[in-house]
Amino acid sequence: MNGHTLTCENLTIGYESALGEPVTFTVPPGSVLAVVGPSGCGKSTLLSTIAGVIPARSGRVLIDGVDVTQMPTHARKVAMVFQEPLLFPTMTVRDNVAYGPRRSGASASEARSTADELLSWVDLAGLGDRNIDQLSGGQAQRVSLARALASDPAVVCLDEPFSALDAPLRSRLAADVLALVRRTGIPAVHVTHDPDEAETMTLNNSSGSILSL
Amino acid sequence: MTAPTWLRWAWIAPAGFLLAFMVVPLVSLAGQVLSPGTIEYVSDSLPWRVAGLATVQALASTAVSLVVGLPMANVLTRYRFPGRRWALALATVPFVLPTVVVALAFRSLVGSDLGSGFLIVVLAHAYLNMAVVVRIVGARWSTIDPRLDIAARTLGASRWTAFRTVTLPALGPAIASAAAIVFVFSFTSLGIVLLLGDSNTRTLESLVLRQTSILLNFQAAAVSAAIQAIVVGSVLWWAARTRNAIPRGALRTFRLRRPLGSARWAVGIVVAATVVIVLAPVSSLVWSSVRSSSGFTMSWWAIFAGFETIDAGSTRIGSPLSAMARSLSFALVTGLVAATVGGLAAMSVLAHRLGRAFALATALPLGISAATLGLATMLAYGRPPVDLRATGLLIPIAHALIAVPLVVAVATPTLRSTDARLVTVAATLGARPSRAWWTGYGPTLRTVMIAAGGLACAVSLGEFGAASFLARADGPTVPLVIARLLGRPGEASFGAAAAMAVVLVVMTTTLVAAVDRGGRRS
Repeated sequence: MNGHTLTCENLTIGYESALGEPVTFTVPPGSVLAVVGPSGCGKSTLLSTIAGVIPARSGRVLIDGVDVTQMPTHARKVAMVFQEPLLFPTMTVRDNVAYGPRRSGASASEARSTADELLSWVDLAGLGDRNIDQLSGGQAQRVSLARALASDPAVVCLDEPFSALDAPLRSRLAADVLALVRRTGIPAVHVTHDPDEAETMTLNNSSGSILSL
Repeated sequence: MTAPTWLRWAWIAPAGFLLAFMVVPLVSLAGQVLSPGTIEYVSDSLPWRVAGLATVQALASTAVSLVVGLPMANVLTRYRFPGRRWALALATVPFVLPTVVVALAFRSLVGSDLGSGFLIVVLAHAYLNMAVVVRIVGARWSTIDPRLDIAARTLGASRWTAFRTVTLPALGPAIASAAAIVFVFSFTSLGIVLLLGDSNTRTLESLVLRQTSILLNFQAAAVSAAIQAIVVGSVLWWAARTRNAIPRGALRTFRLRRPLGSARWAVGIVVAATVVIVLAPVSSLVWSSVRSSSGFTMSWWAIFAGFETIDAGSTRIGSPLSAMARSLSFALVTGLVAATVGGLAAMSVLAHRLGRAFALATALPLGISAATLGLATMLAYGRPPVDLRATGLLIPIAHALIAVPLVVAVATPTLRSTDARLVTVAATLGARPSRAWWTGYGPTLRTVMIAAGGLACAVSLGEFGAASFLARADGPTVPLVIARLLGRPGEASFGAAAAMAVVLVVMTTTLVAAVDRGGRRS
């Protein structure tokens, strides 16, 4: 599998003071690391630090062996999917998904075709021209997933992406994410407060693991 | 809900007020415009040339207001830091300052050599109106999820690209709305233009005043006012259409963020700039009131020692203390009339099926410039057969007309947010309809009326445009006295004007602060 590797070495996180002990882990290509822990323990802060939204207090973040700790967010190729879809409100569904490819220099038609392909993959073909306020909660979250994948990321960070969804949709999207990780070899860091969800995400993944904060 | 019968008829008083003091004067004005000979004034190049000058000036004022106001809106409404509320209140101060005070403050800041012309007029307008940008754009910005920016950056967008492609399109309608309001305020400016402008910074408003009070050509003035009304109406119509482009859906305000990294610098710089920008002209004004060519002096404040006039030559200024008393009495009447009319209007909005339409009707005076209002009132009630000028009521009535929309805007949402079930509870406990209604709404209404009346007083104290038309030569208000003093040479006149302006600033800001405090408590 031709994928990417995420490594965190002695990484200390936190805004003003360090949250917990330094963490060290590696997420190999095509693997899922489930991060579990109670509210306020720093799960989401860990993802933000990996993505470069919050600077690391100490330690290093490496992607494919390259130290990206000081790299700005937009250059890291770490895509995030949040608890809420966070779709751009002034854009159509297709423009949301095409946003990442356009930022990496794809032409409008290339970005459009990438977006349509990914919308098909999340079973939303034909909804590209819709405004985002015409989507259901589940559809919007799938668009958010498609948007993250369309940017050709090296790592995907999932910040409780299924918590606002009902149980059947949750398990379906979890299966979609696992299939994607296997197919593309993109390592995923999945934050959840639900131990069952963490088990589902890792047991169904040959090299999955759980990190408790 | 058990509503008292009288509440259904509460709309009659405000409707009668608007009919008598807005509709009738505007009909008189329209009569002047539609009378024979108008074509001669419409084909005259003067009003069109002035409209062109005013457009260029208003566009420049709008651009500068946006450049100054947008960073303030971003920092003051989205980040959490010590003193944020104070800084936000400070950024709003210029908007409540009377225009003559701002003109005088800018004159004292830059000196008399640079104290007039296009640039200073534009800067003074930006100073007055930056709060419009901060409040309108800031209110929208605080409803944009800050994580959208993060999402864009994780998809490969730099900070600037994320702002340009995600935040800016979402802010677009709010920016357009604020820009339209600033444009209209600058396009219809009178006080700033008269006191700081030159021949290239005239507005139709100043032309109307000249045509009315110097040339006594009411028909030409009416045509100029009509041209201005068409431009203002078009801009406001465009703004209303743009506002509709705001994405629908429930808006929610996001928690203020703690600034991190480079954002800390941005917050520090913007807050420091806000303090300097707001306080520099005001400090200069205070300094001018205690400074003479020979050093520190309190002699300019001697004008408040008694009721003596300070007329000189042909310039009639009268007694500053009398003007102060006159302005205060006008403000008091304005407050009472506006609170009563506006309060009844707000209650009618709640009680009536056609409440929304009525609320819109009460907001109409907002779209009418002060000079248009002043001219129209004078045409209807300032000359025979109905001459009310001697009664001293015209100014407070015109001021009340300007203040009523503000009272309605303050009172309606507060009354709406009152739990109507309290009235039902009171009724089930045996209260008659009027008592039950008062039990539910009375406490809120009382607080809101006091606050709104205070706001109306503040508006009246600083109002310059309508008073320019309606004041008698021997009965000027404080802003008019300041303007007359500024037109007279010599440091004594300037010092006296500065002293009066300082008193006006203290009175106005105290009233607005008290209203703000009362509003927050309620």
